[in-house]
Parts: sequence; C-alpha cells; structure tokens
Amino acid sequence: MALLTLENVSVAYDNQYILQNFNLNIEKGQLISLLGPSGCGKTTTLRLIAGFLEAKDGRFMFDGKDYTRVPVNKRNFGFVFQSYALFPHLSVFDNVAFGLRLRKVNETEVKTRVQQILEVVSLGGYEKRFPKELSGGQRQRVAIARALVIQPDLLLFDEPLSNLDANLRINMRVEIRRIQQELGITTVYVSHDQEECFSISDQVAIMNKGVIEQLDDPATIFKYPKTEFIARFIGFTNFIDFAERTEQNGEIGLRVGDHHFTASKNPGTANPSGKKCAMRPDDLLVTTEESTEPGMNRLRGTVKVSTFLGRSYQYVVETELGDFTVNQEMETPYKTGLNVNLLFPKDKVVLVD
Amino acid sequence: MRKTGLYLLLLPGVLFLTLFMVIPIVMTIASTFYQDGSFTIQGYLQFLTDAYFLKIMLTTLQVSLVTTIACILIGFPAAYYISKLGPRKKGILLALAIFPLLTSSVVRSFSWMIILGKKGLLNSSLLAIGLIDKPLEILYTPTAMMIGLIHLFLPLIIITLVGVMENIDPDLLKAAESLGASKLTAFWKVIVPLSVPGLIIGSILVFVGSLTAYTTPALLGGKQRVISTFLYQNAITLNDWHLASVIATIMIVITFVVIYFMNKLATKLNPKG
Repeated sequence: MALLTLENVSVAYDNQYILQNFNLNIEKGQLISLLGPSGCGKTTTLRLIAGFLEAKDGRFMFDGKDYTRVPVNKRNFGFVFQSYALFPHLSVFDNVAFGLRLRKVNETEVKTRVQQILEVVSLGGYEKRFPKELSGGQRQRVAIARALVIQPDLLLFDEPLSNLDANLRINMRVEIRRIQQELGITTVYVSHDQEECFSISDQVAIMNKGVIEQLDDPATIFKYPKTEFIARFIGFTNFIDFAERTEQNGEIGLRVGDHHFTASKNPGTANPSGKKCAMRPDDLLVTTEESTEPGMNRLRGTVKVSTFLGRSYQYVVETELGDFTVNQEMETPYKTGLNVNLLFPKDKVVLVD
Repeated sequence: MRKTGLYLLLLPGVLFLTLFMVIPIVMTIASTFYQDGSFTIQGYLQFLTDAYFLKIMLTTLQVSLVTTIACILIGFPAAYYISKLGPRKKGILLALAIFPLLTSSVVRSFSWMIILGKKGLLNSSLLAIGLIDKPLEILYTPTAMMIGLIHLFLPLIIITLVGVMENIDPDLLKAAESLGASKLTAFWKVIVPLSVPGLIIGSILVFVGSLTAYTTPALLGGKQRVISTFLYQNAITLNDWHLASVIATIMIVITFVVIYFMNKLATKLNPKG
C-alpha cells in the first residue's frame, strides 16, 4: 500500500480551481518529483501535503491515517524552502536545533543529533555561524539539515536549487539524492527543471493545468511520453496528426491522407487513444538518396532553413504534412531549397494524446 | 562631480544644526557648571538631594515607562495585523493609525479633558450604567497623562513595527510550523525576536517622547509636575534659568542613557540583526 495518498483532492483560490479531483500515490522510500511549468499546480500540491494549504474537497491519507485536517506542526514532515527560510536571528546550530527543542529533546541529545546531521550535510564546524555568513549552497544545506534532524516521516522540497548557480546546483542535487538514499526517506521534490528532476527521481510526475499527465520512472517518460504536452516538454518537436490506425504483421499502420507510415509495437505506441506521432529532431534523417532503407518511413520535402549548431546542422524541412525539425551531424550541409527525403525510423515513433 | 566635493551637500544641514542646536545645547550644559564666574556642581547637588525634585523625576520616568510598555502591548499586535494586509487595506489602516499625529496636541488634550473630566463622557457613561457610584478621579493625575501620551505615541511604534514586520519572510513562520511550532510559538520565536530592531527604535521614540512631552502633561496633568513642565515653571514662572538648565542637562543625560541601554538590549536580543 502507498505511504501517501491524495484522493480526489481539490484546491481553489477565489473560486478558481488549481487542483480538481487530484490523485497521487507515493510509495515508501521513493523520491518523486513534481515537474511542470509555473502555474501547473506542483507547488500547490506540495503545500497541500505540507499542510500550508487546506483541501476544499478530498482526502489526504498518510501511513494509513487521515491527515486531511492535521495541522502543519503535528505532521512531522520536513520542508525545504526555495528561499531556505533560515531563521536569521539564530546560529546554524540553533537553526538546526529548533525542531528538536520544540520536541523537548534534552540538550545533550540535541547537541549530538545536530552535530551528526551537520556532518551528513558536510557542515561540521559551522555551528556558530549565522545564516548571513554562509554562501547559498551552505544555507541550502543548513535548511536540509534542519528538516532532516527531526527525523521526518516525509521530506518536501520546494524548488530547492533554483537560487543556486549552475555548478552548485549539480553538486547539490547529487548531495540531495545521496542523503535521501542514505536515510531511505520518502521525498517529494518540486522543480521546473527537467534535468534536475530526471536525474534524482525514482518517479517523475509531469503536471499540466492541475493534472498529472504522466507518472513514470524518468527513463520511461523520456522514451515514451504519453501526451503531446509531455512530448514537447522533453524535446519532441515533430508531430503528425494521423487519421487512421491499423494493425498488420505485428506492426502499427498509420495513415494521413495518401501517406502511409509504420510504427513498431513498443510501450511508446501502446497508447490506444494516441492521435499523433511524435518524433525527436535527433531521430530524423535528411537524405538526397532515393533507395529505401528497411525500418524507415519516408516523406518528401524541401530544405527550408539550415542552421549550424556546432556539432550538427539543424534543418527545417517543409513537407505536405507541415514543417519538421531535424538535427543531423554531417560535413557539408544541404542547401536551402533542395528537394530531400525525410526519413524516420519506425521504432522511434511515439504515439501521444 | 568630484567625489570629494560631495560632503558639501551636508553643509547647509550641518551648519543649521550646529548654529541652532549644538551650540545652544553645549552652552546650556556648560552654564550649569558655572555660577558667579566659578566652577560648581551646586545645581546638581541641589536637584539630586531634594525629595520634591526626585519625586518629579520618578513620576516622569514612571509615566514614560508605563506609556512605552502600553504602546508596545497595544501596538505590537496591531502592527502585526497591519503588516499582513494587502497594500490597499494596509494604506488605509496606516493612515488611520497615524491620524493622532496629524492633530494638534492642544486639541487632542482638550478632547481628553472632555472625555476624562469629573462630568466627562467616561464618568457620566459609567455612572449611567451603574458601574460606579461616584466619578473616577482620572483627569489631572498621572493616569490622564499616560492616556494622552499613549494616544500620542502609539502611531510611532506602529509605524516602526510595521516597517520591520513587513520585511520578515512569511516562509519563516511556515518553516517554524513545519518544525513543530504551533502558530503562537512560531510567532513568539520568530516574529518577536525579528521585530526587536523596530521595537527598540519605537520604544526609544516613545520613551524619549514621553520624557520630554510638554503640552499633554501640562494640560492633562493639572498640578502634577513632570520634568518638562517643572523645567518650564523654573525658567518662565520662577525665572531660575540656572536650575532650568540643570534640569535640561539631566533630561539630555537620561535620554542618552536610555538610548545606550536600549541599543545594548537590541544587540543582546538580536545579535546579527
């Protein structure tokens, strides 16, 4: 059974629904990311779990108990804020000890536990510093230590790395993943950074307009997006609306007007309601040769734009079915206006809603 | 512009203050140590050994202290409420809060006389509903002074506190709650210590303001003297400018001592504020 369950939860501001009949299950020990553009409801979901927001309808179950109306301070969840939210009037030690002292832990144990957790986040020796005297990355680690030291039942991160510079962000996300796995603590992580979410999560939930469009492990989402929104979000730029779908010889036949394409059967084409083919620009090929290679679909077109990208060229190819973007490594580029064949492998086609 | 010339911008202000404030104050202080052409501390000895003078000083300090504490107790929750409001409501409430500062202290004191007098609004209402059977003696007592001064200075503490509280990251309260603090504990452990700078500045303004206020104690205090009215009496009625200067110097010293200790307190309560 899932550790955390949101059942038909709705949240509204000024009669505007942010979440409506929202459902989510999280297994114990997992790190799950909520990923999506701003306004998709990911932060709302996190704040709801933390208890900063109350659900208008629905239930929030945690570890078999109804947490819907449990106040924030009784939940024992650790929350790491985007702004770190360290208490500026308290030293690193007192910041981290804050939660323990509220739990009436005796001072000797407070000392041991604070020191232990500061070691875990590699901040031993910084006890006496004040937040002002720390760098962004150090503040972030204090914030994590402060959330961890209370031995929370759930750890919540709200865009924790977005105020850090790029190098530090990569170090910190490795750190977060290491600590999370070391302590085996169930974690919900909110970010709008795709790479960040994909690199640290067991599961990624991609949200759009208050709905989870897909919840899968990162590799599956990356290879087999379920909707056009997700496909675009993770870098699919080419789409073909098809009119008819048939199955023959263990393959899927797709028809648009007079054009016929085939797609291999795989998890990416299993979606029976899919109405579009999606393809990455890296998976397409542009060629002037007429011989048909096996396993390839072919579409005639003209090179409309050719851009040098450094390692490769990017072409926009104009066809009867619209414009396609192709990234291709080659020595001498095709010229604008050239008639070409656009090839796309049938095992790289994904069918999306 | 050359950077070295920038200090010239300060010149008019510095000149004005030196001529009309610093020099007179220095002369006043200096004059207290000279009488009939020779050095003396007779004025101070006289002041500090006279029971009547000391009682006036004690009353003044008492009135100022109670006024300051009352302003903090009333102003703190109000300021917190205002700091949480949206910009429109905040503007309206702040304007209402500073309203007392916009009316003349004479007018304000007369209103209090009408309310607090023997046959005033307060007493006649209390008599009418039978809560008391003879009028309360409020007007012309230290209590009346305090009421008038609280009314006068509450805006100062509210304004300074709102300024500080607005800048407290609301996530800090959430963080405290997520760590197990109830709303009240979070307020006590986060909002209160972080408001200390505003509280100190506000308290200094109120305390020093109460200590030196003249109109309100003069009108609401009746025969009850405070240092400022006593000073006035010595200078204008009794024409004893030497003693008046001594009193003025003592007021200046008290003011600086108060500011010094308040600042000490601030550093102690909020080490990295």
